[in-house]
Amino acid sequence: MNAMSRDTALVRITDLHKGYGPNIRVLRGLNIEMKPGERVVVIGPSGGGKSTLLRVVMGLEEIQGGAITFAGQPYISADGRKTRIDTEVRKKIGMVFQHYTLFPHLSVLQNLTLAPCKVVGEPRAKAEERGRAILARFGLEAKADAYPSQLSGGQKQRVAIARALMLDPQLMLFDEVTSALDPELVAEVEQVILNLAAQGMPMMMVTHDMWFARNVASRVIFCAGGVVVEDGPPEQVLGDPKEERTREFIDRVFHIKG
Amino acid sequence: MDYTLDIGAVTRNLEPLFQGLAVTLQLTVAANIIGITAGFGLALLVLSRFAVLRVPAMLFVEFFRCTPAIVQIVWFFYCVPMLFNVFLGPVTMGILALGMNLTAFNAEAYRAAIQAVPKEHLDAGIALGLSPTQRVLNIVLPQALRASVPVLLTNGIGTFQQSALVAIVGVQDLMYQGKTLATQTYRPIETFTIIALFYLAVSFPVSQIVGYLERRRGLAVR
Ligand SMILES: Nc1ncnc2c1ncn2[C@@H]1O[C@H](COP(=O)(O)OP(=O)(O)O)[C@@H](O)[C@H]1O
Ligand SMILES: [Mg+2]
Repeated sequence: MNAMSRDTALVRITDLHKGYGPNIRVLRGLNIEMKPGERVVVIGPSGGGKSTLLRVVMGLEEIQGGAITFAGQPYISADGRKTRIDTEVRKKIGMVFQHYTLFPHLSVLQNLTLAPCKVVGEPRAKAEERGRAILARFGLEAKADAYPSQLSGGQKQRVAIARALMLDPQLMLFDEVTSALDPELVAEVEQVILNLAAQGMPMMMVTHDMWFARNVASRVIFCAGGVVVEDGPPEQVLGDPKEERTREFIDRVFHIKG
Repeated sequence: MDYTLDIGAVTRNLEPLFQGLAVTLQLTVAANIIGITAGFGLALLVLSRFAVLRVPAMLFVEFFRCTPAIVQIVWFFYCVPMLFNVFLGPVTMGILALGMNLTAFNAEAYRAAIQAVPKEHLDAGIALGLSPTQRVLNIVLPQALRASVPVLLTNGIGTFQQSALVAIVGVQDLMYQGKTLATQTYRPIETFTIIALFYLAVSFPVSQIVGYLERRRGLAVR
């Protein structure tokens, strides 16, 4: 149709500015171009705006400047003081959060079928069938009728991933989805994400687990001070960073890990 | 103290007490129907983005929260008929006075429960593509209504007890019948003890239910 539709990027973030109120500026002219099939891990110091970046891409935040396109389509833009978000484009993106966000009044299966039934108008029986199939794939078929309060943290996060997948997203966002978990529950959640990665699901995620980052990422972005400081393949950014700030950060993270 | 207890003086006259209890229950149930429904509407007004809706609603709530119930009842019984030239019969007036008080308190219960729904749940709703209305109907209200049940029950039983205040404006409730009986029989100790037991017999089971619901919620939340 126009030049936009020839854009080969899945997500193109251009000169993104985002703050909270007049005094807190978090993202200061950030640019990222994510290609289809890429798995981007965003790392960086705490408070550096990683969650903010993912929340902006999810369409949960107002922005003060810049634009985001998704698969060549305009998605988010700062229009004067207002933020314009195309809610149809937003439906193509799924997100899992650090803290459990399962709806406590709904069973596991109901959590999965809520959006397909309400948003897409899928018949309940069909949605339930798909839901049970996804749960079975995640080893959670026995929990279909359980309530979130009866699940472990790892199970909750796996259900949250399953819930997002019910809408066939074209991009998944994961914001530190294992940091609230007890250590012995981390692996089961990371395994689910690794499986998704193996199936070619495009994803953008924040994690502090460098082992996991190295295994899942096709690309690592180091963000600090609200801009991209370093961007490259995992071996390079995590193993042999070019930038001094990246090197300092990586050293510190591995040092803490012992 | 040479006062010999004579429970019989009261037990021989239980009928007016039961009639009074019926009036008290009628006041309680009707006031709760008003409080549970209008309280919800009022909570939505209190949470409104529009100041023209929000400010009057907040003033209504604060008026009832910041004045003694007995003043509200007396004011309602004496001033409303004079100011507006309406009088609807003592029981109806009592229901309206108690119901408005309960509406204000229940609105606070609903408001707190709505605001207690974690913001993350709404973010998840957006991420799942739910529209604002769908988020309210499927995420906020089901959680908020469940969370408000124990407070609504506590408020409701509070109204049951406060309904005794309408005796002073001549509504023939349990307290009124008790006072009458005590005067007739000269047996205030027996009468008022039995009256207290009547109130206890209704309130205690409900407060046990509230305790049970709160324990169950406490387990379910984490
Ligand atoms: N809702 C908010 N209101 C105000 N400040 C916020 C809000 N969310 C995040 N911030 C601030 O923005 C900065 C970036 O936060 P965040 O994106 O969570 O960083 P990260 O995920 O990299 O740790 C922090 O200084 C944080 O305090
Ligand atoms: Mg974060």
